[in-house]
Amino acid sequence: MLEDLLINGATTGAVYALLALGFTLIYGVAKILNLSHGAFYMLGAYIFYASLNFLQLETFPALILAVIFVAFIGAIVYGLLIRPIIESELNVMVVTLGAAMVFQYMVILLFGSTHKTIPYLIPQLPLVEILGVSVRTQKIVALAVSLSLIVVLWIFISKSKIGGAMRAMAQDRETATLMGINTERLFVLTLVISASLAAIAGVLVTPLSVASPDMWMFPLIISFSVVILGGLGSIKGSLVGAFILAYAEESVVFLAQGEEHLRGAFSLLIMVLVLLLRPSGLFGKRVEME
Amino acid sequence: MVSSYLRRFYISFATSILDVPPRLLAFLLFLLLLCVPLMKLSGYLLTVLVLANINALFATSWDLLVGRSGQISLGHALFFGIGAYSTALFSHYFGLPIWATLLLSVPFGVLAALLVGFPCLRVKGPYLALVTLAFPLIFVRLFFVDIPGVINIKAIMGAEFGISGLPSFLPVPPYSPYQRGIAEYYVSLLLLGVCAVALYKIARSKTGIIFVSILDDELASKASGINTTRYKLTAFTISAFFASLVGGFYAHFMRGASTSTLLFGSPTAPGSFMVVIMTIFGGIGTIYGPIVGAYILTLLPAFLREIIVLVGELANLRLPIEEWTAIIYIIIAVIFIVAWSRGIATSIVEKLNELAEIEELRKDKKKGKKRR
Repeated sequence: MLEDLLINGATTGAVYALLALGFTLIYGVAKILNLSHGAFYMLGAYIFYASLNFLQLETFPALILAVIFVAFIGAIVYGLLIRPIIESELNVMVVTLGAAMVFQYMVILLFGSTHKTIPYLIPQLPLVEILGVSVRTQKIVALAVSLSLIVVLWIFISKSKIGGAMRAMAQDRETATLMGINTERLFVLTLVISASLAAIAGVLVTPLSVASPDMWMFPLIISFSVVILGGLGSIKGSLVGAFILAYAEESVVFLAQGEEHLRGAFSLLIMVLVLLLRPSGLFGKRVEME
Repeated sequence: MVSSYLRRFYISFATSILDVPPRLLAFLLFLLLLCVPLMKLSGYLLTVLVLANINALFATSWDLLVGRSGQISLGHALFFGIGAYSTALFSHYFGLPIWATLLLSVPFGVLAALLVGFPCLRVKGPYLALVTLAFPLIFVRLFFVDIPGVINIKAIMGAEFGISGLPSFLPVPPYSPYQRGIAEYYVSLLLLGVCAVALYKIARSKTGIIFVSILDDELASKASGINTTRYKLTAFTISAFFASLVGGFYAHFMRGASTSTLLFGSPTAPGSFMVVIMTIFGGIGTIYGPIVGAYILTLLPAFLREIIVLVGELANLRLPIEEWTAIIYIIIAVIFIVAWSRGIATSIVEKLNELAEIEELRKDKKKGKKRR
């Protein structure tokens, strides 16, 4: 039973980290609180479903198509909605939340409001045996893909030139602009990366449950909780926060014998505790008073 | 010639509006709203107007918190939903009369504001927005908890269907549904009128000025010896007071409370997201802006619905009305927010002030010429 908890926690943690990384990245670089992050997750899952069922694609091309499509939508959301009002934090939140709701209703129009099941990425082999426990392959796939993407992203941010620009932008926006970094292009690129990560997370996780048009809220809550736990804008913080939250939740579900509804409530409890002890998260910068 | 004359007339009319005391304007508007049921509206439109009053009060309570004291809360439906649920619980399980359930539901909203506000107000800006957004989403999950042998919240709260079968205003049978609609309209209008005046007074009082000083510069307010945390908590509780009151009213209006009262809402149901849209649409931080925004944005779906039905008939399609209404509604609201980020009411007032200034300058010029 403990092995179960270990594997479940690792998978959940890796996926949470993938979700929260995108959310925290776009905040760190562009100071955008993108509340359509959960909608990108949902769109990833639905476009994957559509390209499997309607376009009759193979698993891998379908995944690529879903990610490209969602990345494109992310760029459109930035260009049309966020860019004109980027100065007002509140308006950005409202507009992105509005976009998320529009996506939800569009999904209802196109796919109906009934639940959809999405096949595993490796449908031939549903279960594998690890450490004497039989685990659903999808969990292993989700874990492996998430972890490798996180590593790739980490290397990208710390080694590549664009990654350097992102870090510079996060540290000091004005100076970074003076050094010749193209703000607009960097913001679009960051949002595109963030949206694709969310889409991949959607494709990885949804086969374990079902796809429904209101599925965007839960990943959004998770992104908040992780990011508040780890500190907004801190990549290291989101990674640590994701695994803490995932193991805590899995333990609760494990101890309360499948009370899935307690999952979210427990994230809240952890969040409140962190806020009481460290108002800007474990690794966040202290919010300075101006 | 004619156009310049019309323009002169328009300018003198527009500038003279500014000379009318706002109190009188508000009173005239209130009188106009009192006369609305005389227009023999359909029962459906009357319902929409009641909803507009509810939304207006809900949005105004949000405006006092966010527009005045700058504490961004994206989960205001928490208080609205708690008001609705506690009203429904008191009515359903204890059978209390309406005035009692409304009065009893308010302390629960205020208590929730204190419980949520205490940890939340340690954080600022984006953190506060995220935490407040998460609170109701997670709180609603507690309604589904069912631990055998200990407590079955799911059964008490009625899961996603909520609690239904509440009495309405005018519960006595001889009244027709239409008469009941008119009664509900007047009660809601009275509630809005009284509460909006109270909120306006609070916003203009010493406490309200301190709220604005916190929004402008928290550090300077602290340096002036203001206990900012206490005032922020005060803003939270005042706002929650009105939100839970109107939530209780909404429960009686809908004859029940469901989990949708705690969520983002939709074009036809109040919620966290809807108040934010309405307030920003109307003009944040003005108290009257949200009322304008709520009226426009609550009446909008009723018209959109008609248009969509018409288009569907013309094109011979069976369009899913709910979804199309919601999509077009949100797109319109978002376009307005992107284009006029200060809000409609604020923009109009600014435009009027600008006109008045130009007029003043022109008059001065004329006088100068004469003197010369």
